[in-house]
Amino acid sequence: MSGAATWWLAPLALGAALAGGVYLTAVLDRLVARAVAGVPLGVPDALVAPARGAALLLLSPPAATERPDAQSWALAPALLAAVAAAGTAAIPLGPGLAVADVPDGIVLFGAAMALVMVAVFLHGWSANSAMPLLGGYRFVAQALSYEMPLALVLIAVALPAQSLAVGDIVVAQEHIWNVVRQPLGLPIFLVTAAGLGFWGPLALPDAADVAGGTSVEAAGSALLAWRAARAAVLVAAAAMAAAAFLGGWLGPVLPGPVWMVAKTAAVLVAISAAGHLLARVRLERFVVVAWTVLIPLALVDVFASGILAL
Amino acid sequence: MSRSLLVDLAFYILSAGAVVSAWLVFRTDSMVRAAYWLLVSFVAVGGVLVLLSAEFLGLVLVLMMAGEMTIMAVFMVMFMMNPAGLNPMTMVHQHRAAVGAGLVAFAGLAGVGLVADFPDRAAPSDAPATAELGTELLGDSMLVFETAGVTLLATMIGAIAIASRRGRYGDADAGSLPPELEAPAPKARA
Repeated sequence: MSGAATWWLAPLALGAALAGGVYLTAVLDRLVARAVAGVPLGVPDALVAPARGAALLLLSPPAATERPDAQSWALAPALLAAVAAAGTAAIPLGPGLAVADVPDGIVLFGAAMALVMVAVFLHGWSANSAMPLLGGYRFVAQALSYEMPLALVLIAVALPAQSLAVGDIVVAQEHIWNVVRQPLGLPIFLVTAAGLGFWGPLALPDAADVAGGTSVEAAGSALLAWRAARAAVLVAAAAMAAAAFLGGWLGPVLPGPVWMVAKTAAVLVAISAAGHLLARVRLERFVVVAWTVLIPLALVDVFASGILAL
Repeated sequence: MSRSLLVDLAFYILSAGAVVSAWLVFRTDSMVRAAYWLLVSFVAVGGVLVLLSAEFLGLVLVLMMAGEMTIMAVFMVMFMMNPAGLNPMTMVHQHRAAVGAGLVAFAGLAGVGLVADFPDRAAPSDAPATAELGTELLGDSMLVFETAGVTLLATMIGAIAIASRRGRYGDADAGSLPPELEAPAPKARA
C-alpha cells in the first residue's frame, strides 16, 4: 500500500484492522470464558455483547476526581491506542501487504511497545487517586521485567532471517516455522504479550486487589477507550506472535491474509484462555521469575538461534 | 504535494516540537510531567533521525527513552518526599548557575553547528543504514564500543549488588539490625 494515490488508505486500513481486532478479542474472550466455565457458548449473544457493553459505557456519565491531571488522563488511552497502531503497522497481513513493512520493523514494534509503559503509568498517575497510582507503579515494575525477554526473543527471530523487517522474518519461515526452530521463543513471547496487554495472570496494574488499579476512577467513554486500547495492544502482540513464530501468512490452500487472521485469533484464544484458567500472579514473584528465569532462557534462545543461523 | 515538501514539513514540525517540549520541561511544575515533556522532545528527535534515514537510531532512541524517562520520574518522586508526584513544585532552582550553564552549553553547541563541516549530499532513501551501522559497531569502532559496553555492564552489576535484597546485615526487607558494639570473639584456630 505504498502507491502514491493510495497513501491515505493506510491509516484507514490500520484503524479498521485494529477496530476489528478489538471486537474479535471481546467476542473471543467471552466465548473462551463460557467454554472454560462449561456453559453453552451462545455465539449470537457473544457477537452482540461487546456492542451492548460499549453502548452502556458510552451512555454512562464520566467520573471526576479531585484535581486530576486532566490532559494526561485524557491522553493515556489515546497514547495506548496509538502505540498499538504503530506496532501493528509493521506487521504484514500478506506478502507486501503491510501499512509500513519498514526495514527495522522489529525495532519499530519494540519501540512502540516500550511506550505502553508510559501510557499505563500516566493513566494511573494522572487520576490523582491512591489505587490508580499503585497500579501505575506496579506496571512500571512489571514492564521493566518483561521488556528484556520480549526484546531478546524478537532479536532471536531476526537472526535466521538476517533482517529486522517483519516480512523477511515471515519469508524465512518458509521451510520451518520459528515455533519449531526456536522452541523457547513463543512461550516466552506469550508471557510477555500477557504482560504487555496486562491481561489474565499479569493483569496487575488493573487488578481487583487494588480495586481496579489504574482504571478504577475511569468511567463512561474514557473507560471504554481504555479497555479498547488495551485490547488493541493485545491484538498487536498476537499479530506479532503469528508473524514472528507461526509463519505469518504462510499456509496451504487458503489465501495468506486469512491464515494471518486465523493465527492471530488462535494466539488471542490462547492468551484469553490463560486469563480464565490461571490465577493472577503476585508482582514480586513475576519480577523474580522474569529476571532469574525468563531472561536467562531468552539469552539461551538468542545464542542457540545465532549458532543455528551461522 | 511532492514527497520532498512533505519531508521538509515533517522536519520543521518535529524540530519545533522538540524545542518547544524541551522548553516546557522547565515550565511545568510536576516531576512526572517534566520527565514526559522530555520524552516528547526525545521522540521528536527520534522522528528527525528517521527522516535522516537513520531509522534504527531513531527507533532505538524512542525505545530506550520511554523506559528511562519513566524510571527517572519514579526516582525523582521517591527522592522528593512527594508520594504521588502530583503536588505542584517548582522545577527550576539556582537560577544564576542554571542560566550560566545554559548559555555556555548553547554557545558550545551553536559553535559546533557553525564551524562543523556538514555533508550536503542527500542520502538515498534505500541506503542500508542499519547494516552499515552494524558493520561500524563490530568493525572499525569495535574496541570503543566494547569498552563502553563492558564498563556499563560492570556498573549495572555493581548497582544490582548494592541494591540487592541480601546485604551485610541480613535481608533488606526483614529490617536490618545494627552491628554489635563488641566484635565477636575470634574463632579458635585448629
